[in-house]
Amino acid sequence: MNVVAGIFLIVGSLLTMIGGIGVVRFSDLMSRVHAAAKAPTLGLLLVAIGAAIEIGSGKAVVTLLLVVVLQLLTSPVATHVLARASYGQVDIELDGGDDLAQHFAEQRAEEAAAKRVEKGADQGAEPRRDQGDV
Amino acid sequence: MIVTAIVLLAVAGGCFLYRVLRGPSIPDRVVALDGVLSVVVSGIIVAAAKANSDITLATVLVVSLVGFVGTVALGRFVERRGG
Repeated sequence: MNVVAGIFLIVGSLLTMIGGIGVVRFSDLMSRVHAAAKAPTLGLLLVAIGAAIEIGSGKAVVTLLLVVVLQLLTSPVATHVLARASYGQVDIELDGGDDLAQHFAEQRAEEAAAKRVEKGADQGAEPRRDQGDV
Repeated sequence: MIVTAIVLLAVAGGCFLYRVLRGPSIPDRVVALDGVLSVVVSGIIVAAAKANSDITLATVLVVSLVGFVGTVALGRFVERRGG
């Protein structure tokens, strides 16, 4: 067994375990998301590097590279979708301003304004055409 | 060395499973299930390194992509149904 590969495997597993401990010990959903999203991703990266060194065949290296790239692409997306979906459904401790609530309020205001403009255009169309005929 | 890595992964899996069982809300459980899948993926890779063969590595791709789709689907479910 290659020593470098073994160290990579152990450090990667250690990071995954740290993520697990964070998920158990943190008190809040968002803190748990924070612990469960980042540490296991880096752990998987290190484990894949270790396995690629140990196995060493071209097929293994390509497959592990694909796994790592896909994990790095999909893990933030999945975590973001979940965190955004659970906003407002679960009690969340805030330690600052609530930017997402502000964003939702602005979005609602914009939708309302767009609806008003649409309605105004529908009502305004008839009289304007009458004036044009006269 | 492999044994150390496997023990660490087992502890991580136990922690995530504890949160799956105890988690007060559905998003907590979904987050923990995502972690369990991450442990499974790492475990398959470590087992492949132990056996020094690359025939099980295609499984890793499938498991990680199924985990992504599952987490996103459960996120939509939480958005619609509530925690």
